[in-house]
Amino acid sequence: MNGVWGKILRVDLTGGTCTVEPLPDEVYRYFLGGAGLAAYFLWRECPAGTTAFAPTNRLTFAGGPMTGLKQTGAAKWTAGAISPSINLNADSAATASFGIAMKATGVDAIVVSGRAPRPVYLVVEDGRARIKDAQGLWGTNAYEAEDAIKDAEGADFEVVTVGQAGERLVRYANIQTHKKSFVGRCGLGAVMGSKLLKGIAVHGSRTCPVDDAAGLRRLNQEINRRVAALDAAQPEFLRFKRVGTAGATELFAPQGNLPIKNYSLARFPGGERNLHGTEYARRLQAKPWPCKYCVMQCHNLCQVETGPYAYKGKGPEYESFAMMGFNTLVDDLEAVAYACELANMYSMDCISLGAVIAWAMECYEKGVLTQRETYGLDLRWGNAEALVEITRRIGERTDGLGYLLGEGSKIASERLGRGSADWAVQMKGQEIAAHNWRAQYISALNYCTGVAAGPNHERGNSQHIWVADVRLPEWGIDEVTNDERWSWTKAPERNAVFHDYCNVINSSCHCKFHEFRGYTLTDLLDTVNASTGWGLGLEDLRRCGERITTLQKLLNIRYGWVREHDFQYPKRFMEPVPEGPAAGRIPAGLDDAILAYYRVRGWDEGGRPTAELMKRLAMEEYAA
Amino acid sequence: MRIKVNSREHEFPPGSSLARVVELVRETHKNDPVTRALIERTGFDHLTFIYNSRIVRPDEYESIELKDGDEIRWMRPYAGG
Repeated sequence: MNGVWGKILRVDLTGGTCTVEPLPDEVYRYFLGGAGLAAYFLWRECPAGTTAFAPTNRLTFAGGPMTGLKQTGAAKWTAGAISPSINLNADSAATASFGIAMKATGVDAIVVSGRAPRPVYLVVEDGRARIKDAQGLWGTNAYEAEDAIKDAEGADFEVVTVGQAGERLVRYANIQTHKKSFVGRCGLGAVMGSKLLKGIAVHGSRTCPVDDAAGLRRLNQEINRRVAALDAAQPEFLRFKRVGTAGATELFAPQGNLPIKNYSLARFPGGERNLHGTEYARRLQAKPWPCKYCVMQCHNLCQVETGPYAYKGKGPEYESFAMMGFNTLVDDLEAVAYACELANMYSMDCISLGAVIAWAMECYEKGVLTQRETYGLDLRWGNAEALVEITRRIGERTDGLGYLLGEGSKIASERLGRGSADWAVQMKGQEIAAHNWRAQYISALNYCTGVAAGPNHERGNSQHIWVADVRLPEWGIDEVTNDERWSWTKAPERNAVFHDYCNVINSSCHCKFHEFRGYTLTDLLDTVNASTGWGLGLEDLRRCGERITTLQKLLNIRYGWVREHDFQYPKRFMEPVPEGPAAGRIPAGLDDAILAYYRVRGWDEGGRPTAELMKRLAMEEYAA
Repeated sequence: MRIKVNSREHEFPPGSSLARVVELVRETHKNDPVTRALIERTGFDHLTFIYNSRIVRPDEYESIELKDGDEIRWMRPYAGG
């Protein structure tokens, strides 16, 4: 086999064993790697009734055929498990160098099951794995834990860790690596914490053989040069790109795509003044902090030298910036950046955190939460100190409010009652991300129908058709008019294409953001073929995407998804905003669009894959 | 001659340069709220042009003479999830 090892490392924390196992070639040809592998192991080993915090849940860390190929964007890797927020299949991708280092140990994936009798961390080095004691690390934040593991094992190890939020089962806890990249959304950090697994350290010296090394070198050179040339063509842009993805607020605000005040407003003058790209670059002293091999360099390192929010570390990405700033009306740039970094250290997903805090602020505004329940914290909109303090309390999870908010807005609103579910902007237990369904209706459809990780803007990033002019001409998404963003014209078809596209990207393990730099499906296909020798065509690649999406759907059905869940969208979806670029826009007709999506997918009226679809995809054995 | 601009075919007189397409795209999108906001904040519209799969620098626009069947794509090279 080329491009992948055909081997995984199985770690049983209950039994304390680590073994390397083969994985048949056909599994990779069907599901590629990454997200596909994570779903495959759930399908194979986690029957109905398996829950997120059960020892039997499989937490899989996986690379793919593109991992480590020295092409810009080829540093991605994926983790997957049953999620504690949605109780369904979920996967998430991260970068830095963990995936590359994991592949260099000689395995494509690490599949973790069981629960350790006491806190542990795992060390994997060139085919050998050891489970080591982590009791001294339990209770430390994720960054401290990474430092300690590197001190113990060596600075050249790549490490993933969870912080206190993961240990204490915050349902949107994430997993961090290198203090700059995060397996976010869906609470996989809590799954890791539930297994008493504090971290994983990997280091390897092996090089996975590829099918066409010379062809790969040519592709890498051509693609890397082309992507770099795009930025260099506009010298002014090179200055602006220090801001990284947070600069997207400049693009999204005029389209009505931002979340403002728990998605209830269209304008935020304080945010427009203070929370925009040029201020970000200047006041946070942003500098590029690229992932390995990447010429896009969208991550940045920031520094606030003085004041209560002094820090040096990761600069907030667009989603973090939008959800923790615009969505809570906090326009103190330094406070937002600091709160995001605090969340990173505790290991919490900033999208859900920002949404939950905004929900709590709305509860406070409406008198549903008072200072009695907040233990004196003034949770009014825009209170920067409160943003930072509540972040700390949720991460520590040592008081009632912190505990409640750590459950996510669905459970928190069910427990609090008093009508608070009306402003919980979540579906299936996961909070909606920073792409406003009022700016393009397809976002609403994506949130309702996504199967890879619940309502997730990067597991079907069809909003990018409009907010970022992304096209997939090889799969039929080319000519698009601006007016279509507020209609259902072709939305079900486009939604399906983007679901499969995201699955292909997250399973071959490439960085989807390269779509903003003209990276094409043909580039991806050529690279996968040069790596593996599979000789796939564009339609074959689409079939892989469809298979992964279908497998995820089957898993969700197994773990309790029912049709009604797709129609239980937030009340706020149908509440218009009175001004701004998306004034008056609501996704009326969403129910019909969901049903149309089912038809496009080859699912029945109940949203289930049909026997005909399973046969077309040669997935009959997966149907049971 | 027929030129594709973001997959839509347009008719251009022979001898037209890429600069003509750039001018037309900028004119078409000058009132786009995204364009206006970007110019207001940063001083430029961030539009980048790709000519037959090759990224083109602004100082090359005038010198590229279009041919029948050329493909031009324009984009704003942003990243944001």
